Order: sequence, then C-alpha cells, then structure tokens
Amino acid sequence: MTARPVLATDRAALMLQLVPYLIRKGEVSVAEAATDFDVTPAQMRSMVEKLTVIGRPGDNGYWQMANDLFDIDWDLLDEHDRISLTNAVGLEHAPRLTAREAAALLAGLQLARSLPGVGDSGVVAGLLAKLAGGASSTPADLIVAPEPVDDVRGSVDEALRHGVAVSFTYKAPDAPATTRTVDPVKVHIAEGQWYLQGWCHLRQAMRTFHLDRVSDLVLTDIAITHGEEQPPALFDMGETGNLVHIRFPAAVASLLRGYLDRAQAVTTSGELTQATIRVADPTSLKRLAAGRGGDVEILEPAGAREAAAEWARSALEQYTGDDSQGRAVSDSAHPEG
Amino acid sequence: MSADDLPASAAARNAPEERLLNLVVALMATDQGLTKDTILGSVSGYREQAEAGASKDALEKMFERDKENLRALGVPIETIGDRLEPDDLRQARYRVPTSEYALPEEITFTPEEIAVLNLAAGVWGEASLSVDARSGLRKLGSLGIAVDEPIIGYSPRISLHEAAFAPLQRAIEQCRVVTFPYLKPGEEHPRTRRIRPLALLEYEGRWHVYGIDVEIERERTFLLSRIVGAVKAMRQGFDESLREGAGERALQGLEDLARRQTALLEVHPGTEAALRLHRRGTPEIQGVRVPFVDVHIFADELASYGPEVRVVDPPALRDEVRRRLQAALEVNGAAR
Repeated sequence: MTARPVLATDRAALMLQLVPYLIRKGEVSVAEAATDFDVTPAQMRSMVEKLTVIGRPGDNGYWQMANDLFDIDWDLLDEHDRISLTNAVGLEHAPRLTAREAAALLAGLQLARSLPGVGDSGVVAGLLAKLAGGASSTPADLIVAPEPVDDVRGSVDEALRHGVAVSFTYKAPDAPATTRTVDPVKVHIAEGQWYLQGWCHLRQAMRTFHLDRVSDLVLTDIAITHGEEQPPALFDMGETGNLVHIRFPAAVASLLRGYLDRAQAVTTSGELTQATIRVADPTSLKRLAAGRGGDVEILEPAGAREAAAEWARSALEQYTGDDSQGRAVSDSAHPEG
Repeated sequence: MSADDLPASAAARNAPEERLLNLVVALMATDQGLTKDTILGSVSGYREQAEAGASKDALEKMFERDKENLRALGVPIETIGDRLEPDDLRQARYRVPTSEYALPEEITFTPEEIAVLNLAAGVWGEASLSVDARSGLRKLGSLGIAVDEPIIGYSPRISLHEAAFAPLQRAIEQCRVVTFPYLKPGEEHPRTRRIRPLALLEYEGRWHVYGIDVEIERERTFLLSRIVGAVKAMRQGFDESLREGAGERALQGLEDLARRQTALLEVHPGTEAALRLHRRGTPEIQGVRVPFVDVHIFADELASYGPEVRVVDPPALRDEVRRRLQAALEVNGAAR
C-alpha cells in the first residue's frame, strides 16, 4: 500500500483513471477499488467524493448545475461501502500511457522475453508495438540486454509447467558436489542471475539454488508435493549462519549492497564503515575480500580473515615467475573514453 | 510555486486536483476550444478565485502551471491560434482532442498478452518505476480485458539502486543535455562529463547510460555506478531524432565490444570459477576464452575466484587481477 500521492497532479492522474474504471466495473466495493488503485479505502472514498464536485463549467452564470457534474449513488456508498457512478460528464476514456508508464512496461517486457516459453511465442513483439502506439509521447529507451536460455533453464521451465521434480548435481562454492531432487516452486531473476527455489528432498526444506551451479539436470516423474509451499525471501538467512565482522571505506558501501542488505549492524565513523553480517560460512567471505581488492577487511572471526589472506596468497602464487606487475591500465577499452 | 500553493481560503474550498480535473473536462467538452478568458471566468477552481478578487495575472500564471502539469501527465492540450493573428496568444483557444487523449480503442490484448504484461509490470519490485508500471497496467486494464491465469513460477526483477537513473530518464524524455561527475577506477578525482543522454541499458545486471559526449561529439557509454554525484539537466536541449534506435545502438555497441575484447583464462575444473565462466566462454587449448566489456568489473570477478583461475591474457587484465589480490592479502594478511 503506497502513501497518499503527495502532489495534486498525482492525485489528478489517479482520478483521470477512476472514471473509466468505474464505468467498466458498473458497481464495485470501496475496498476492491482501493486495492486496484494502490490506495487505502479512506483515500478511495475521498477520491470518489471529490469526483462529485467535478464537471462541465456550464455557462451564462448557470455554473455547474447538477447534471453538469459527476454523481454517485450516495446511499450505496454510505450504507454498503460500494461505488456506482450515476452521472458521467466526460473522461469516459482511459488516458494514453505517459512516456514513463510505457517505458516501465517496455523494460519489463524485455526481461519477460528472456523467460523460456515467453520470448519465442511472439507475444512480446506484438506487445512492444502496441505499447509504443498507446503512449502519449516517446518513452525513453530502457533496454534490458537479453540473456541466453540454456538447457538447464529450459528444463526447469518444463518441470514447472508439468509439476514434476527435477534432479541435478549442485556444486556450491567450496563444498563438495551433491545430487539433489527438488520440487521446483519459483525461478527468481535478480541482477541478471537466475535462482531456483524449491523443496529439497535431501534437506527436507525450501532451498535456493543458483542455476549457474546446477548441472546434469533431468526431469523426474515424481509429481511435486510442495509446490504450494510459500518460498522465503530470496536471501533470507533466518537465524541460521554465523556472524562476520567486516570493515570497508564508506564510499564503497553501494558495491557491497547484496551483503549489507542482510547486515545485523552497520556503523560508520569518519570514512570507514563497520558491519556485522550473517553468512552460512564465514570463510566464504574470502571471495568478497579478494574481489573488492583490499577495500574489505575481515575483522572477525580470525579463521575467516586467515582464509581470505590464504585465498589471495595462493592465487598470487600462480603468477610467480611472470613479469613483474606492469603499468596500470590507462586505456580501458570500455567505450566511455 | 506549485499547484498546491493557493491562498488558504481558496485551497479549503477547491483542492488543486479538482481544478485540474474541471479544466480537463471543460477542454474535452469543447470542439472549437475555449479562450483563456472563458476558462478563467467559467471553469470551477479559477472562477471562484476570480470572484474572490484574485488578480488576472495570478490566475493566468496558475493556468500556465496547470497546463504544464497536465501535459506532463500526458494530457494533450492543444493551442489553436487566432486565424487572423496567429502569434497573438490572447485570442488563442485551448482544447483537448479526445482522439489524442484517449488510449486507442483498437488496441486490444489477448488474455495471454495480459498475463505477460502483468509479469512485466512486476519486475520493478519496490523501485519507483513500479508505480508507473502499475499505473500503465491499470489504464490498459480499463480497455476491459479479462485477466488470464497469471504466469506462475517466475519472479523476474530489475534492480535499480542508482540515484542517477531517474534524472537521466527524465533528461532523455525531455531531450536535455546533462552533466555529472564520473569517477573512473584508478583515477583520483571524478571528472565532469557533459552528454546528450539517449538511452538507458541494463547489461549483465548493471545499468549504463548511452549518449553523445558533447565535448568530443562521440557516442559513449557510462556505468551508472560510477556517477558519484548529482545529474544536472542543462537548459540546452537536443533534437529528439537522435533518440531513434538509440537503445539498439547502445546494446550493439556493448555486444561488439564483448566480441572484440576477450580474455584467455586457465580455470581449475570443478570449481565455482569453472561453473560461472565456462557458461560464458568458448574452450581453447590453454583454457577458456571469455568476452568482457569492462576490464575493472571483470577483474573484480576474476580476483574473487582466487586460485581457481589464472589470467593468461590480456596483460592489462592480469595486472588488474594481481593488484586486487595483492591488496586483499595486505589488508587481511597482517595479524590483528
């Protein structure tokens, strides 16, 4: 539920949509209309009441006589919390999409196109053209680069459609490969990464699997039994896992967003920030520390700190005997010039 | 001043949204258009204020603002000049042609299309574009379409954390030149860039802005995460035709770059690095060849794999990876 639109123009925009909506519905409860417009029932009621002072101007001093104004069935509203228009004096048509509305939907469609079974159906291409035709001005180009659909993604899609479990090899970082049988529940796509959430027969619990770490996936003929299970939030650790204490320059906090979203405590003093985060395996932070190139210091536990140092040291050993480190990169090929 | 700033007594009688809506109704009900004087003297919201003694100047200013706000909502307010005195706006007439205001009724959607649209509208999660997507969906829904079974099993999300996104999108819509401070990795201070922004592009999970760098008149692509301060829209505009096909050109540019720019990597089998990199690369005798668009971002990723991967080529990438590993070792290697 969003807060009441702050600006008068935003409220006007909603009310322009309200008339065609009410005409189409015939009669609708305040609660249902409020849900459809993302406002509270009290806000919906106020919008409807306001509508009844709006209308054609009239002329020659006979300003806005009753039949010039929108009107509603007041008894129905007062006694039954239901809305029904009894007089409409314009605004019957839905307004065109604004450039912003069209852009938001167009970008969403591009991501939808990367789903198996959606992209190749031709549905999206037709929709892109229709939305462009329904906008009041040219939307800003928001492009979402397509990701290739590989066999794993295609097979997961098939399993979802047929309601059967899948079986695959799963190789989490720094853990031995395991064979899993999973009732697929939901595929999450976030920051370009694909995750399968489902009921893991091995762990007897809902689990999340990064699809890049899945191999040898096959469909089973086991009908799913946990398809209705409510999946937890994508990275919800609950109260499990271990606490790790890290320190980094405050300026790079945005680059650590994925970790800090799960942070227990974040304190900044001066240019340095300290955070306590919950992770399944504290030594796994060696990857974060190496990737952030010295920005992230692991303070505790000591084991995780040592693991991070050892991770970097053994990686560097691979380059022993190479030329000593060359010049800094000055001519990045990224076309930002 | 905004439409909300009315004298208190008048505001109590007429909320500004009422005046805006009365104006739209009046302008849609007329074919030949209404003059400004007629509007200010008859449309509810202006009329009461005129009667209460508001100055003509104040009312005209309010009308100009209201027109601007309504146009921003996509309401096409047409100005019809006087035939004899086309430049004299005192006699101009205003109207809203229904055909341009309304969503064309010939646009129809199949239930299958509506299901895909619902999914598309959901990708923004909590981001502010979610409000726009839902509003757009509501308008399309008012064309009277039955909602089909939703597409279950998928929860696609587009992440949007960069503060630069919204002002850049607005500047693209309005065809305005922008400036922003841009910090390239390895440089001490950000440099102010001035571009004609043409498209926003999400590539490998990161947002980029594509446009023409005004200083050098060349097309350039910038990572939003490297914009370290406010995006400012300038007065200076540019021709909307520059935006045509810009998104496709931006995407093509990055794809061409990834084709030209590849790394040769030795990857230890069965590791996280192998799983993540082999999917994107092609095998070679000495390892795997993986395309990349930005040497710094790719170096971040490769360094995180630690001993699981060794960069053979290019040297610039290898040096960047070694530099990160060395720094990580220095920071975490010392006893506490």
